[in-house]
Amino acid sequence: MARTEQQSNERSKARSNRASNPSPSIPLPEGEGSVEPTFTSVNVGNARAERFSGRWFWRFASPAAFYPLAGTIEKLCWFVAIALTIIGLYIGFFRAPTDATQGEVYRVIYIHVPAAWMAMVIYLAMAFWSALGLAFGTRLSFMMSHALAPTGAMMAAISLWTGALWGRPTWGTYWVWDARLTSTLILFFLYIGYIALAAAFDDKKKGDRASALIALVGAVNVPIIYFSVQWWNTLHQGASVRPGGSSMASTMLTAMMVMTFAFWAYCVAVAMHRVRTQIIERERDAKWLAGVKQ
Amino acid sequence: MSLAVAMKAVFAREITLFARRKSDWANPLMFFLIVCSLFPFAVGSESEKLKLIGIGAVFVGALLAAMLALPRLFDEDAKDGSLEHLLTSPEPLAALILARVAAISLAIALPLALATPVFSLFYALPTDVALMLALSVLLAVPTLILVGAIASALLVSARGGAILTAVLVLPLTIPTLIFGAGAALKVLFGESPAAEIALQTAYFLFALALCPVAAAAALRISTD
Amino acid sequence: MIWESWGAFWSMGGRGFFVWGSYGVLAIAVIAELIALRAARKRATKTLNESHHDH
Repeated sequence: MARTEQQSNERSKARSNRASNPSPSIPLPEGEGSVEPTFTSVNVGNARAERFSGRWFWRFASPAAFYPLAGTIEKLCWFVAIALTIIGLYIGFFRAPTDATQGEVYRVIYIHVPAAWMAMVIYLAMAFWSALGLAFGTRLSFMMSHALAPTGAMMAAISLWTGALWGRPTWGTYWVWDARLTSTLILFFLYIGYIALAAAFDDKKKGDRASALIALVGAVNVPIIYFSVQWWNTLHQGASVRPGGSSMASTMLTAMMVMTFAFWAYCVAVAMHRVRTQIIERERDAKWLAGVKQ
Repeated sequence: MSLAVAMKAVFAREITLFARRKSDWANPLMFFLIVCSLFPFAVGSESEKLKLIGIGAVFVGALLAAMLALPRLFDEDAKDGSLEHLLTSPEPLAALILARVAAISLAIALPLALATPVFSLFYALPTDVALMLALSVLLAVPTLILVGAIASALLVSARGGAILTAVLVLPLTIPTLIFGAGAALKVLFGESPAAEIALQTAYFLFALALCPVAAAAALRISTD
Repeated sequence: MIWESWGAFWSMGGRGFFVWGSYGVLAIAVIAELIALRAARKRATKTLNESHHDH
């Protein structure tokens, strides 16, 4: 495939650049040499960022420098995600025993719990990138935030859906106002708000900063919401029985952890893909992008 | 002009506007009345049933009515240009926003809280429950307006502001909804509502400390 | 193999609908996301190539 060849080309270029040049230049995706190494000052464009510009990590605050790196991470994560999914599902379905109380239906846990965790983790990651973007004005941070949001919302939705399907045979109803399901539902609302707000602005820069602010406000509120829902739950119905519980067989736990890492890798891969697409979209007029074709 | 004078001026301006345009606070009140009267048609008129849903219905009704006041925060000023005065003032923007939120809270929350015990009569709620509910509304509506200030500041220049404000604000009012209605429920069950009142007050103070600053940042972003 | 037959595997002790309903929807969501990613990338590169053509 032409694309694979091109990407490995990028990677080797990036490597050689990092190794040889003390002030490294941006690798061009399709072998046209390199453009001027001006990205730290031009692209980061913020006084506070200037101060740190000597540090290596600021190199990747530049979309041009991050583009090939994101491609590498994406490929690695696809590989990890596919491999771990196969391993996790194999352990989960062919090695883990039947649950003593719930029978076979507990096997939903291998996707329900990882999805719920990812929904939470992705929201925190979004808030982290948003804070970074607001503090340093780095465009790439906002792009990371936008790239994570749809997958986070999807994870919350998957967690709700699987929770409902699991609840039906376990509790007798599709929906229980259980503390964890309720919190995930509210988290889903927060994702919806973020995505809708980011889309509401014609001016992309304004949308970036506005949605970053709302991500931060949400992140500050998430612990309070979780606590209050817990409080409400004990007030109204007493502690509910959790499927799975603490008495999980170790093979079940192994399968769940493997699946969690698989989900993690999937989310990173998808986010990296989206960041690359956004870089292409937003840096349309940048010279270095001239060679990127697909 | 010192900060206190500026804040007082902003506060007085808002109160004067509310005194002149009575519909600004009377419309949410009417909305509140109508919402409260709708639920019995849906669930039936037995007083035992009504008592159980009454707290939730009245409380949610009050919050939705307060949502109607949010466009009053920045949207109208953005249209007639007086928002520029707020933005170019040498005083800290967060303090001026706080003064404005205080005025709007007073003009919206007070009528809604006063009406709450009256509308609670629809649901056969005992007097002590109704009074507790009024106190909850008095704490919850300013919290909602504080949180709403962030959202409406962000959406001053955006498309589809009104619905999006609701999407952004309502999930963040869930803690105050839980504690506010929880306090009234505790009274209904004959237990002490102290913990719920304390938690709701804490959430209000938390919003009071953070929201004006966040709303000021939001206003700077959206009017950039 | 802990299953007596593939039939037993697919029926999941009579709870097949709930288990496969969960995994099925996850699979659909992932495929939909991948298609959306592809479409967005295609759109982006298309406009990119056009805009560079203009210059």
